[in-house]
Amino acid sequence: MNQCEFICELNRRLSGLPEEDINKSIDYYCELIDDYIEDGKSEEEAVAALGDIDDIVNQIYTDTPLSKIVKAKVKPNRALRAWEIILIVLGSPIWLSIMIAVLAVVFSVYIVLWSVVISLYSVVLSVAVTSLVLFIGILVSVLKGLFLNAVIFLALTLVLAGLTILLFVGTNYFAKAMIIVSKLIFKSIKQLFIGRGAK
Amino acid sequence: MDIQLKRGLLDVCVLKAIKNEDSYGYKIIKDMKPFVEISESTLYPILRRLEASGMLTVHSAEHNGRLRKYYRITDIGLERIEDFKSEWDEIISIYEFITKEDNNESV
Repeated sequence: MNQCEFICELNRRLSGLPEEDINKSIDYYCELIDDYIEDGKSEEEAVAALGDIDDIVNQIYTDTPLSKIVKAKVKPNRALRAWEIILIVLGSPIWLSIMIAVLAVVFSVYIVLWSVVISLYSVVLSVAVTSLVLFIGILVSVLKGLFLNAVIFLALTLVLAGLTILLFVGTNYFAKAMIIVSKLIFKSIKQLFIGRGAK
Repeated sequence: MDIQLKRGLLDVCVLKAIKNEDSYGYKIIKDMKPFVEISESTLYPILRRLEASGMLTVHSAEHNGRLRKYYRITDIGLERIEDFKSEWDEIISIYEFITKEDNNESV
């Protein structure tokens, strides 16, 4: 690849970014290629020395905040015409409500996922409390001389205490998985905006 | 090396590379090479991050009929290097703690 091909490719792959950022990146890599050439390398060698273009593009996207990528994608390339503005305003009852609905669905999925986590923890808590109450039941039974009851309560206390530990560990794993899933969702939303650029 | 750890270290290395005189991308990489390998694509976000946090400033100057970007360290950047040096004692004691445990296991 020569310098021109490299710059064209970089420009194409970074097209999801604001123009200012693209130009800065290209300036940076152009300067490096020139410096390599000045130091005695051929143009091809200089481009090869920069490493894999996939790595370069990925590195740039990873270090660009999502808000910047979204802004660059949403910003139209030219000024809107009058009839386009009128259409957007007139259409707002439709697209605005659809957009709110989509956001609401995403938000509610998120809430549902986390309410599962919360309800699981409350189940753990209730089992733990029951086990504690049964333990008090043992003491009361012994005091009243109901030894058969005490034995049954003891068995139940042990079963529930064991269950508490198991459920607690399981729920912890579930919560951790939820955190990972949330991160993945956020990442894929970012990928959605980057689009073809990073591929 | 751990990415997060290396990232923090490289920031300081780049600051050091421009500490005594203004430098440019190619020279920074070349000056660092005997001590630490840094690729062109790694250096780029570091320079931008350091610029954004005010640790260095960028200015263009002509060189052989083309423009080259030169990086100059600021007072905040100099301070960062000094901070790193004073943090070093802490890092050494962490290192001693980590290796001490290893020795005990092998004995």
